[in-house]
Amino acid sequence: MGELLTKELQTFNTHKSELIGKANGKFALVKDDQIVDIFDTKFDAIRQGYEHFGNVPFLVKKIVEIDIPQNFTSNLLRV
Amino acid sequence: MPSFTTTVPNLQGVGPVVEIRLAIGSTTEEVLRKNNQNIPIPAQALAMIDTGATGTVIREDIVNQLNLNPVGVTLINTPSSTNVQCYEYLMRILFPNNVIVETVVIAAPLQGQHIQCLIGRDVLHHGVLIYTGYTETFTLSF
Repeated sequence: MGELLTKELQTFNTHKSELIGKANGKFALVKDDQIVDIFDTKFDAIRQGYEHFGNVPFLVKKIVEIDIPQNFTSNLLRV
Repeated sequence: MPSFTTTVPNLQGVGPVVEIRLAIGSTTEEVLRKNNQNIPIPAQALAMIDTGATGTVIREDIVNQLNLNPVGVTLINTPSSTNVQCYEYLMRILFPNNVIVETVVIAAPLQGQHIQCLIGRDVLHHGVLIYTGYTETFTLSF
C-alpha cells in the first residue's frame, strides 16, 4: 500500500478513543487532519465525501475497537 | 428479479467465471458530471465468483484505468499473509443481462492475468447463487 490516506489514518487513530465513546459502530469521514462527520452507513459517508471533496482520496472508516480483517481462502491473491 | 445465467465449459476445472465490466460508483459519476469532467469508460474484466472471499477484490491496475481514488483502507488475510492493508474503492459491477451491483471493492494483486476480479460475499449477500454442476452453469439473482 502506498502513502495515500496515511494522514487520515493518523487522524482517525488520534481521535479513536473519543469516537468509540460517542459513535461506536458508526462510520467516520476523515480528510487530512479533520474528522468531518459521522454517519450510520458506509455508503452515506462515501457519498458525503464525494460531494464535499470530489474525486480525491478521503477515508471512511468504521469506528470499532479492533479492526477485523477480511478473509480470502483463494491463492489467486498475491499478497 | 434481475439475474443472469452463465455456461462455463469445464466448470469444475475453470470455476464460476463471468465477463463483467467495472465502472466508477454512481456518486463518483454524479460528481464528475457536475464538474464537467470525463467519465472513464468501464473496464472489461473476467471475474470469478468466490464464496471463500469476504469481500470483492479487483486487480490493482483497474484502479488506474478508471482514475479512481481510495475511500478507505481495510485489512486482509490470505493463505500466505495476515493483516495486509489494502485500499478500498467505490465501484459498480456490471454483470450480463444488465445486472448491476454497487459495492466497495478492495484493490490487490491477483495471480496471473486471466482473472481480474473476485466477486465476494459482500455481493452474494444481496442475492441467490445457484451452481448447477451437471449442466456446467451458474445463476446469480438479486
